Amino acid sequence: MSKTTLVVALLAVAVAAAIFIGPAALSADVLQIRLNRVILGIFAGGILGFCGAILQGLFNNPLVEPYTLGSASGAALGAALGIVTIGFLNPLFAFAGSLGVGLLVFVIARSHAGALQDRLILAGVIMSFLCSSLVMIIMVMSGRELYEILYLLMGYLGVIMNPGQRVIAIAILVLSLAIVIYLYRHHRELDILSQGAETASGLGVDTHRLSRNLFFATALLTGFVVSLVGAIGFVGLVIPHIAKRLFGPKHLRNLPASFILGAAFLLLADTLSRTITVYELPVGVVTSLIGVPFFIYLYSKR
Amino acid sequence: MNAIEVKNLNFSYDGKPVIRDISFTLKEGEFAGVIGPNGAGKSTLLRLLSRILDIQQGEIIVQGQKIRELDRRSLARAIGFVPQETHFTLDFTVADIVLMGRYPYLRPFQAESVGDREIMEQALAEAEVAEFKNRPVNSLSSGERQRVVIARALCQQPKILLLDEPTSHLDLRHQTGIMNLLKKLNGQGISIVIVNHDLNLAALYCRRLILLDRGTIRSDGTPTELIDEKLLKEVYQSEVRVIRHPDHDLPQVLLK
Amino acid sequence: MTEVIFTLGAQDDLAGVTTYCDYPDAARKLPKVGDFSNPSLERIVGLKPDLVIVNLPEQNRIKTELEQYKIQVFVTEPESLADIYRDITNLGGRIGRQRAADSLVAYMRKRIRPTGRKPKSVYIELSPRPLITIGRNNFLNEMVGMAGGKNIFDDLVRPYPAVNQEEVIKRDPEIIIILHPEGIKDRIGWRKIEAIRNDRVYTDLNQDQLLRPGPRLVYGFQALEKLFE
Repeated sequence: MSKTTLVVALLAVAVAAAIFIGPAALSADVLQIRLNRVILGIFAGGILGFCGAILQGLFNNPLVEPYTLGSASGAALGAALGIVTIGFLNPLFAFAGSLGVGLLVFVIARSHAGALQDRLILAGVIMSFLCSSLVMIIMVMSGRELYEILYLLMGYLGVIMNPGQRVIAIAILVLSLAIVIYLYRHHRELDILSQGAETASGLGVDTHRLSRNLFFATALLTGFVVSLVGAIGFVGLVIPHIAKRLFGPKHLRNLPASFILGAAFLLLADTLSRTITVYELPVGVVTSLIGVPFFIYLYSKR
Repeated sequence: MNAIEVKNLNFSYDGKPVIRDISFTLKEGEFAGVIGPNGAGKSTLLRLLSRILDIQQGEIIVQGQKIRELDRRSLARAIGFVPQETHFTLDFTVADIVLMGRYPYLRPFQAESVGDREIMEQALAEAEVAEFKNRPVNSLSSGERQRVVIARALCQQPKILLLDEPTSHLDLRHQTGIMNLLKKLNGQGISIVIVNHDLNLAALYCRRLILLDRGTIRSDGTPTELIDEKLLKEVYQSEVRVIRHPDHDLPQVLLK
Repeated sequence: MTEVIFTLGAQDDLAGVTTYCDYPDAARKLPKVGDFSNPSLERIVGLKPDLVIVNLPEQNRIKTELEQYKIQVFVTEPESLADIYRDITNLGGRIGRQRAADSLVAYMRKRIRPTGRKPKSVYIELSPRPLITIGRNNFLNEMVGMAGGKNIFDDLVRPYPAVNQEEVIKRDPEIIIILHPEGIKDRIGWRKIEAIRNDRVYTDLNQDQLLRPGPRLVYGFQALEKLFE
């Protein structure tokens, strides 16, 4: 069986598990709820894996993921603020937070000398810490909203929706797919960037514009994901490594692989989070718990 | 047509001037070497010519067009740049790396064509790395990797090749190998500018030498004209002997 | 507890409250020492109180700090109704209002007692995202049980568990009580739940009467009783 078939089969299994496993009997209504979860899972997992791969390629750094650059923490901060102030319209807050912080990071990075990529990482890490601290402050000062913020920080796919919210979610999904395709167009540039910014410039790549465009596009996507399902960590970090191990360094192949593997991984983690206990666990907890040992295993085999 | 014209080029890093009012013309088919002590601005000049650095003051004209009016891809189709060392973070095969040289010719969702692959094969053959085609690039020696990078530059089908210290990290065999390859390419009509520390290699292969000192052109001419004891002592601040190479009518430098 | 103090008639002795204490109106005019989760040690000490009433587990940190400063602390940890009665009785004794306290407790015990009706299954939602409900170790759960309802999640031990919406669907409650401002209309997949089919979803119950351990629980209980008839 080719690797591609294997990966797609894995996704199919994950989808099946998400649809057929659950506490209630499978009726038309329950099916709707589960399908919602599946779609959110594929969207969030796929985008996180994909963005992780894009960012690791853009910055030529294997430890980068949407969190590192501040956009995920910014989105979480936005949503947390939304939760303790108005209490609804959180997606909008999350989205504003992600873009706002992304913009801030970019402006900070641009105002200093040196290669744009290095500065972006530095500014992103700093903003990430800042946002996390601010969220902590909000958490300490909140009462019952604490739970909601906690689940926001760890992500969860079982979001209750009414038909209106579902329409918005689908619109966001479609827009995100368009952005994903836009990002995929740059697969060659990412291959080239891995040899250094000078090589890239010499081959005709506008590294400054590329960094800026890819950075904002991933910040947008991250904002979308966090606004719908919260901040799920680890997927964006680990999945690209697995994709590269399996499909090689060419981004033409490992970008779609990152998407599919990310989707499969998140769906499986979500199914686990629903079945381990009666209580609903935030899926981010499960992604870290199974992700970390798996990652260690993968690297020890080298 | 001239390959490159440089007019009144000035460039500063962090407020410190590195290139001061440089002007020269590179004719088509020339094989020029840029020499000079550390900090003279040689590498910076090369990077300005290939637009890795954006020019601040002055003009660079490549094949009749101002560099600022050319989009990056067009420039990459005219000029191939080979850096001193390339660090390959991802372990692509040699074929993959060299094929990336076709980037300036491809649209985003366009796949590499049969024609592109043929050009890649040709470049591999020219650079004499065809036997390594399917090997991961990091399994090669540094000399072989350097040839791979040259092959990639050839894939750009440039009229001009710029190389920054192409032989610095190589052993003797690979050094002469690369220089002979460059000579062959020059024979096919590609204009070449190399920056080289090694004065003797530069003297043997380059038909024209440009001596840079603290950002300005100190001297510009044939090796015989530039490799002169008095001039070298003044610019490099060290005593040397210049002798005639026993096999060629060219000067060589010996340390005193 | 602020409400208890007012009921016991000891409000003149009340030097300061948290921002959470907004009932009765007079309480709002009292000096504030910070919010419920994070009261300010400085402000409290500044008021020079003879006694500070602390809620566990949320205010554990301030309790430790106060004890370090040798300030008298009265601890209340109201998980069950019995806990609440005990705390009121003890507090009454501490502040010299034993009779009023005993009388309040007796009043509450009289009003909050089992109705003996056949229980109707009920789902109580405290938050929509994630779904938070009440579990077994919770005085609201006790009251529901006595008022004629059966909390569909009373098999879960934790007082405020987060649950999967499929569990709500599976347990099919006859009545749904929503204790947060967001509505429940048109939730995807919830159509067939009995409470929704029969339009027995209640969103206008007063949260404070159900979630605050104090005398107003009596009103909350009465509201519940009426609901379960």
